[in-house]
Amino acid sequence: MTSAAVPRVTAPERRDILSWITSTDHKRVGFLYMATTLGFMLIAGLLAMLIRTQLARPGSTLLQAHAYNQIFTLHGTAMIFLVIAPFGLGLANYLIPLQIGAPDMAFPRLNATSFWLFLFGGLIVFAGAATNEGAASAGWTSYAPLSEIRISTGLGQDFWIVGLAMVSAASIMTAINFVTTTFVYRAPGMTMWRIPIFTWEMVATSLLIFMAFPSLMATLLLLFVDRRFGGHAFDPALGGSAILYQHLFWFFGHPEVYVLILPFFGIVSEVISTFSGRPMFGYTGMVLAAFAIAGLSMGVWAHHMFTTGAVNDPFFSFVSFLIAVPTGIKFFNWICTMWGGSIRYTTAMLYAIGFLLNFLLGGVTGVMIASPSLDFQARDSYFIVAHFHYTIGGGSFFALFAALYYWWPKVFGWKLDERLGKINFWLTFVGFNVTFLPMFFMGMFGMPRRIYTYPATGPLPMLNAIATTGAYLMLIAAAVFVVNIIVSARRREPAGDNPWHGYTLEWATTSPPPEHNFERLPPIRSARPLWNLEHPDAEATS
Amino acid sequence: MFTYAALAVALLVWGLIIFAAIRFRHTRDNPEPRSQKDTNTPLEIGWTVAPLVLVIFLFVWTYRIETSVEALAANAPLHVAVTGYRWGWTFAYQGGPIINGTSDHPPEMVLPLGETAAIAVTSSDVDHSFWIPDMLFKRDAIPGRVSAFDLTPSKLGTFVGRCGEFCGLNHALMTFTVRVVAPAEYKRWLAYEATQ
Repeated sequence: MTSAAVPRVTAPERRDILSWITSTDHKRVGFLYMATTLGFMLIAGLLAMLIRTQLARPGSTLLQAHAYNQIFTLHGTAMIFLVIAPFGLGLANYLIPLQIGAPDMAFPRLNATSFWLFLFGGLIVFAGAATNEGAASAGWTSYAPLSEIRISTGLGQDFWIVGLAMVSAASIMTAINFVTTTFVYRAPGMTMWRIPIFTWEMVATSLLIFMAFPSLMATLLLLFVDRRFGGHAFDPALGGSAILYQHLFWFFGHPEVYVLILPFFGIVSEVISTFSGRPMFGYTGMVLAAFAIAGLSMGVWAHHMFTTGAVNDPFFSFVSFLIAVPTGIKFFNWICTMWGGSIRYTTAMLYAIGFLLNFLLGGVTGVMIASPSLDFQARDSYFIVAHFHYTIGGGSFFALFAALYYWWPKVFGWKLDERLGKINFWLTFVGFNVTFLPMFFMGMFGMPRRIYTYPATGPLPMLNAIATTGAYLMLIAAAVFVVNIIVSARRREPAGDNPWHGYTLEWATTSPPPEHNFERLPPIRSARPLWNLEHPDAEATS
Repeated sequence: MFTYAALAVALLVWGLIIFAAIRFRHTRDNPEPRSQKDTNTPLEIGWTVAPLVLVIFLFVWTYRIETSVEALAANAPLHVAVTGYRWGWTFAYQGGPIINGTSDHPPEMVLPLGETAAIAVTSSDVDHSFWIPDMLFKRDAIPGRVSAFDLTPSKLGTFVGRCGEFCGLNHALMTFTVRVVAPAEYKRWLAYEATQ
């Protein structure tokens, strides 16, 4: 019997619904993840519009207290657990194997499982709205004893607990996949110090998930046992401890803040490097800073509890201040990456610059409230609302849009329209700042967060009216984005493999990539294999 | 001070970002990146150490302020036990009146100007927070826990107080007032309350 070269036969890729449900391809899982988060974002964004409409005038009767409480609880829960964090996970699902030159994730079925757990977990949280007493209404933090059954009697709170437990299990599974894949599945030549920054940031994010999410799971489980099986972990009336809830929750909750930002640091790094035409400045410092932030963020949880009077330990204040150092390193590195470059202002780059400008304000106000005596005034006021919207909204949300514009052609094979994109950016940028800048002042004038009405005296009515105007600008911006998708999808202008002259491996394959990602890989001699390919004479750096 | 330090840092970094963004944009005169340099060790050490020094300074500063804010007087002339509940407040003066009020009729705490009031806060149901925005201070009222702090009013007048920790349905309406009066008037108020 003679042996002949057998041509490799690949079955044509299936595109029906069943193939999507059963797919373990990291690109499809990543796509589903991101599409789901955008769906949830639409709902959470519309809820925010209801909040701003209610608060446009003092004494508004659009919403009653109970409806308002459900709405802000769902808005916060969704944005944090179902939009910003999982978008980072979804994007990483899509990108990590491509960036390190791997054919798929280490555990593809675990990966698919995590997506479906996430989807149904999110749907369960929202489904609480259909129960008798409506959705959970104790805030995204759901402090006990407020969330205990004798106070929050509705099933909505249980839906919230069960849904979030599923989402956090999904996050842990995904983190396991990211770390294993990055450590084990790198292509030949892809040494640790050549891993793209985005992938590094996801490794740091994954470590945070390992450390923080079990604490959330424990909190949710204890609360559920309290509510449904007569436990009394958190109810002082029954011998439990209300402070314990806060400790457990924030032991998760603060690292979670960095789960909400590190992936977006990664996105911004990639975008700025590509469009400046330069390598990431201070690559090593960038990676170390990510891990420094991750490490320090495990030791700051009690700064959410300064006003309880239970944790006056200066340790928490000091570590909170320290986080400013690695964050500062990142800022200086981004600036130096632009320095000496030739910056092309695409929509993605505009969003990255918007990220820098907004996040900086979120960052310095964060340093302010790391001081307990300042925090005594700011905590639970609109100052805090402004602060965290500048980090998660002005930061992560802007980087999310940078990512959409930047990687869209890789995922679909065609670009989003740049002119509409720029209109989309400027409306978002102006709208965002008009909405949230006044909130710093609302906080200083004593407006607490989570109130459905406020007195008609003083500067609060005017500040709130301005904020609501900004929110409607952002709504228009969102509409422009939807129009952009429709218009660009009709045009379907082929983007090519590497429309932006990106440097990392995902741009070395076709758009969209084939099922197993690469037909062939370029040699990997630095953190920018595609730059080396275009500049064969230049000496390989790093 | 903190606000100015924060603003100064922000303005500096904003300036650098905007300068770099404009100066190095792609133009006919700047068609190609002029450098592919990606590291500068002295610079990188500098921007690690400088912020470190700054935050240590800020920390020491804040630690000293906090210690004075948190300090408790050995023998305060008056003691008030504050209890928050859904949705109202009780102010129990040691050896004096007990003032109670809910969101329909918010209670009023009367304090003498310049005298230190030792306040102990707790809650009888869920977490609340005793917040007087004009006095730049709040302290959480947590069930099963008594939290003590000193308040020394330095300004005459009536100040709005609010619940600063979300506590459910009528959280937005859970207000109170603090009326700071001259010590003599405070004594008259005490005497009047004793007859009630």
